[in-house]
Amino acid sequence: MVKTYRPNRLSEALRIREQENVIVLAGGTDLMVRNRSWSGTLPAFQQDVLFIGHLEELKRIKKEGGLIVLGASCTLAQIMHDWRVPEYIKLPLAQMASPAIRNVATIGGNICNASPAGDTLPMLYALNASLQLNTGQGSRIVNIQDFITGPGRTGLQDDEILTEIRIPIADFNRQYYKKAGLRKANAISKVSFFAVADCRHDRIREVRIALGAVAPTPVRSREGEAILAGIETKARLDAFPDLKACYEKLLSPIDDVRSTKKYRHKTALLILEDFLGQGLEGG
Amino acid sequence: MNSVQFVLNDSEVNLPVHPLKRLIDVLRDDLQMTGAKEGCGEGECGACAVLVDGRLVNACLVPVGSIGGQSVVTIEGFRHSPRFAILKDSFEQAGSVQCGFCTPAMILAAEALLSHHSNPSEEQIRQAMAGNLCRCTGYTMIVEAVQLASRKGEGLW
Amino acid sequence: MKGISAPIKRYDFDEKVEGRARYCADLHPEGMLYARTLRSDRPRAKILGITIPPLPDGYFIVDRDDIPGKNSVPIVYDDEPFLAREVVNYVGEPILLVVGPDKQTILNLLTAIRVDYEDLEPILTIEDALNCRENFIFQDRPHFVEYQYTKGDISRAIARAGCCIEDVFQTGYQEHVALETQSMLAVWEEGRIRVSGSMQCPYYLKDALVQALDWPEDRVRVVQLPTGGGFGGKEDYPSIVGVHAALAAVKSGRPVQLVLERGEDIRCTTKRHPAHIHIKSYLDHENHIIARDVEVLIDAGAYAGLSSVVLQRLIFSVCGVYRVDNLRVHGRAMATNNVVSGAFRGFGGPQAFFAIEMHMENIAQKLGVDSLEWKKAYFLRRGDTSSTGGLFQSEIVLPRIIEQIEEISGYSQKRRELSGRQGWRGIGCSVFFHGGGFTGKGEKDILKTRVRLVKRSASEIEIRVANTEIGQGAATTLRKIVARALEIPVEHVAYIYPDTDLCPDSGPTIASRTIMIIGKLLYDCALEMKEKGQEETLEVTRGYTYPAGLSWDNARFIGNAYAEYSWGANVVEVEVNPLTLEINVLGVWAVYDIGTPIDERIVKGQIDGGLVQGLGYAGMELLQSRRGKLQQGSLADYIIPTFLDFPPIVSRLVENPYENGPFGARGLGEITLVGAAPALALAVQNAVGQPVRQLPVSPEYLMELICDE
Repeated sequence: MVKTYRPNRLSEALRIREQENVIVLAGGTDLMVRNRSWSGTLPAFQQDVLFIGHLEELKRIKKEGGLIVLGASCTLAQIMHDWRVPEYIKLPLAQMASPAIRNVATIGGNICNASPAGDTLPMLYALNASLQLNTGQGSRIVNIQDFITGPGRTGLQDDEILTEIRIPIADFNRQYYKKAGLRKANAISKVSFFAVADCRHDRIREVRIALGAVAPTPVRSREGEAILAGIETKARLDAFPDLKACYEKLLSPIDDVRSTKKYRHKTALLILEDFLGQGLEGG
Repeated sequence: MNSVQFVLNDSEVNLPVHPLKRLIDVLRDDLQMTGAKEGCGEGECGACAVLVDGRLVNACLVPVGSIGGQSVVTIEGFRHSPRFAILKDSFEQAGSVQCGFCTPAMILAAEALLSHHSNPSEEQIRQAMAGNLCRCTGYTMIVEAVQLASRKGEGLW
Repeated sequence: MKGISAPIKRYDFDEKVEGRARYCADLHPEGMLYARTLRSDRPRAKILGITIPPLPDGYFIVDRDDIPGKNSVPIVYDDEPFLAREVVNYVGEPILLVVGPDKQTILNLLTAIRVDYEDLEPILTIEDALNCRENFIFQDRPHFVEYQYTKGDISRAIARAGCCIEDVFQTGYQEHVALETQSMLAVWEEGRIRVSGSMQCPYYLKDALVQALDWPEDRVRVVQLPTGGGFGGKEDYPSIVGVHAALAAVKSGRPVQLVLERGEDIRCTTKRHPAHIHIKSYLDHENHIIARDVEVLIDAGAYAGLSSVVLQRLIFSVCGVYRVDNLRVHGRAMATNNVVSGAFRGFGGPQAFFAIEMHMENIAQKLGVDSLEWKKAYFLRRGDTSSTGGLFQSEIVLPRIIEQIEEISGYSQKRRELSGRQGWRGIGCSVFFHGGGFTGKGEKDILKTRVRLVKRSASEIEIRVANTEIGQGAATTLRKIVARALEIPVEHVAYIYPDTDLCPDSGPTIASRTIMIIGKLLYDCALEMKEKGQEETLEVTRGYTYPAGLSWDNARFIGNAYAEYSWGANVVEVEVNPLTLEINVLGVWAVYDIGTPIDERIVKGQIDGGLVQGLGYAGMELLQSRRGKLQQGSLADYIIPTFLDFPPIVSRLVENPYENGPFGARGLGEITLVGAAPALALAVQNAVGQPVRQLPVSPEYLMELICDE
C-alpha cells in the first residue's frame, strides 16, 4: 500500500522529498483525477505521496519590492481574494474550473502539471515569472519558460519542491485575456491568450503576449513583442502582418476531442488581431 | 500514519483510514453519510460538494489526509441550522428540486456563497454555483431560490 | 380548471432537500457484494477465449452460461444479449461480471482477465452500413427496420411541380447525463429476487428478469428507488443492469450492487440517435408546396433496441406543423458497430423538427419571403389530416401560440431590425408538436395498462401505478389529479415508488404519457370511487380504452399516429462572438399548449429543464464516435450546460384543454426539448448568414461555414 507523508514544516518535507520516492501533492485536483480508480477504492498512485498543501510556509503571499511572491500551495481562490495581487494576474484564474476547484487547486500544482492548456501558464510566461525550487541543501531560481520543458514535463528534480512563484509587477495599464472554451464556465481551454501592455504618451512602451493550448508549451515571443515596442499607438494596426507572421510560425495546435487544429490556429490569430486593435485602444 | 482526524458537523472524528482515501468515500462508506453524491468522481459535476472550513470543495477530489484538523460540514449537519431552514423554504417556493440528486450540494453551494455575499446579484449566484451541474431544472429556479433566501434570511448571513 | 394548476409542495421535496432520500448507491444491506462489468474494447470481434485468473474465496464470475433463461433483452426484436455471445458488436458491450466483497480485488481481477478476440470488419457509419452487402450485423440486411409511408399521389404532384428545394441535415449523438448513473441493487430473499434501483420502467425490468431467469413472475419483484434523472436513458438500459445484478445475487445468495461509473455510463449506455435527413419539397408554379419527399437514416448502433419506435416517431413528425397533401417518407434504422442508440426525451422529434424547421426557413429564404408569415399559411388546423392521414379532431391553437410568442419575444420586429444589418446577432423561431403516448395503437396493442386506486378509508387513498417519479413530478401531479377528482385534501392521497408486488403494470414512464394517459385513468378511477362513496374500503382498477373516432393501420402507417398532440413555439436570440465563434444566447422564449397545467411550478421546471437540455443538444454537446468508440468519455469532455450558459427562459402557456386528458392536460415531458435546437440553429444561421445544416452548432462547425477555404 502507498505511504503518505504529512510533515509539519517545509524542512521536514524537503528531507522526505530527498530521501523517499514521493510524488508531491498540494491541492490534488489534477492528481486525484489522474490517479482515480473505482469509487470507494483508493486512488491508484504509483509512488508514495507527500502532502504539502497545508504547509503554512508555502501559503504566504508577499509583496517584496517589485515582486509579488506567491507560495506554491496558495490556492487559486486565495490568490484571487488577495488585494495585493494585481488584477491582471487574477484574470486567467477567474475563468479556471469552478469555485470548488479554485478553493483547493494551487498555483504550484497548475505549474508542475504543465498542461499545454494550463490556464495560469500564459500569464506567468508573459510576466516573466520565476520559480524557486528548494532542496534540503538550498534552492535555485528558474524562469518559468525554462522550467516547463514539454507537455506535462518540467525540470523539477526528484529532490526538489517548488516553493515560490515570483512575479515582477510593472505598470501595465492594459490587460487582456481571452479564453475560448467548450462553454462559459468550468471548461478546459481550446485557446487562451494573455497580454498586458504599458501604453503612454501615444506610444506602446512595452507589451507582453503569451498564448496557451496552441502548442506543446505556452507560446511567448520576444521577437513579436519587439515589433510593437515603441511604436505609435495609432499606427499599431500596420504592424499586424509582421506580428501575425511572427506568431503563426510558433503555433502548432492539434486536433483532439475538444477542438480542431484549424479552429485553434485561426482563433488564436483572430484574438491576436483583436488585442492589437481593441486591446490596445486608447492612450 | 494511517489515521485521520478532523471535525465533522461540529463533532471530532478520528478514523483509521488511509490518508489518500477520498473524502467522499470516508463520508459515504465509513460514516454512512450519503448526502454527498458521486455523480462523476472527477470534480466536474459538483454533486459531492461539502464545506471545508466554510469553503465549497468537491469531496471526490480531496484526499482525507489533506484536511487534517479542518472543519467539514455536510448536508447532514447543515440541515439542523436556521440558515438551512430558510434555504429549504426558498427552494420549495421556487420549485428548485426535481430529481433531487444535485440538491444537497446545491444547498451547500448556496450557503458557501451567502456566507460570503449575503446579497448576491444574479450574476454572482450563477458564477458561484457554476461548478454544480443540474440536468433537470435548467438552473433559473435554483437562482431564484438563492435570491429568495438572501431576502428572507435577513441577519442570518 | 384553474384551481388544480396552483402549485403545491412536492411530495418528495423534504427528503430530497434534506439529503435523506436514499438512492440506490446509498444503500448497503448487510453482506452486500459489488459487481463490475468487463466490457468489449473492440467494435466487432469474435471472442475466441476468455482466460480467468484464479479467483480468491468469495469472488466469482457471472457470464452468459449463468443465464438459465434466454440471453436476450425483451425489447422489440429481442436481439440484444444480456451478456455477449460469440461475437461482440460494440465497444462497451458487456461480456461478464466480476463479483465480490472488495472493490480493489475486483479491479485487480478485471485487469488480469484476458479476452482473446479475432477482429472482424466493423461497420462504423451510416455510409458503411448503406454500402454493406454481406456480413450483416442483424439478420440478412444492413438495417434493423425500413419503413415507408405515403399520402396523396406524389408522382402526380412532382409531375406538375415548378421547382424542387432540397436540404440534407445531420444530427449527432446526445447523452442523457442524468446526475445519478445507472444503478441497481439485487437481493435474493426467500426464494425470490428483488431488484431495486434507478429506473423509469419497473415492468420492463421485471419482464427482462423473468426472461433471463426463466422463473415464474411471482418470484420476481422490482422496486423503483428515488431516481436521479432518466430522460429516456433509464427506459430499457436498466433491464441489462438489473439482470446483471440479479444473476450475481442468485449465484451468490447475497445482495449485489451494480453502479456504473460516469465514464461507463457515457460510453456504453444508450444514446440519442444520430440522423441524416434529406428533405425535398416540391413547389408549383405559384410557389405553393404541393409535395414532399423525405429520406431518413438513423444510426441505431449494434442492436435494435427501441430504434424501430424512434424511427417511427421521427418519420411521422418530419413534416412538422405543416399541411402537405402529397407525401412520401422513407426511413431506415441502420445497424452499425457503434453504441446502441435508444430513447431520449423527444425520441426522434428533436431530429425531425430540426430538419423541417431549417428546411422551411430555407424555402422562405429562396422565395424571398418572411419565414414565419410563410409558415403560417401551412399551419395545421382542426379538420386537417396529419402526415399519416389522421384527422386532427381537437382545436390546434398555433395562431394563439404565435401571437403569444411574438408578444413576449418581439420576434418579428427584432428579425426585421437585425436583417440587412451586418452583424453577428440573430434571432430564430421554431414551431413544433409532440404526440403524446405510444405511437399508433401501441397504448392498446402493446401495453396492457392497468392502474389501481385503493381506498383504505375516507382519508387514506393510495395510487398504485408502475409510473415512476424521476424528477418530473409524477408523485405530486398524479396525487393532485386524484385528490381533486375525489374532492378531498391532497394529503389524503398517497403515491408509492412503484413496487411490482403492489402495483399493476401501467406501462413505462415515457412518451409524455404519465399525466395525459395514466393521470386520466386515475381520474376515472377516482370518479368511480366517488360514486361508490359509501363503501368504506374499495379497490378500483381500470385499463386503457382506445379513443373512439381514432384509427391506426400499423401495416401501412395510415391514420392517427398519436391520440393527441401538444404544440409549441420557441424563440432564441443569439450573438456570435466574431473572434471565437462561441454562441452567446441572449434570450429564450417559449410558448406551449399542454392543455391544462396540473401544477404550474412543476410545468415551469420542466420547461426550463427541457429547453436547457435541448439548447445543450443544439450547441455544445458534441459526442463523436471514432472506430466505434465515443471520444468524449468524461464530463470534462462531454459538455452539458451550467448555470452560466443560458439566460432565464421566459415562458407562457396557452390553455387549450384536451377533453380526454385529466382536467384537460396534454403531454408535457418531451415537448420542452423538441423545439430548442431549430430555434437556436435558426438564430445562429441568421446571425452568421450561412446555412446551418448540422447539430451541434459548434464553433468549429461555424468556422467551416464561414471560412472560404
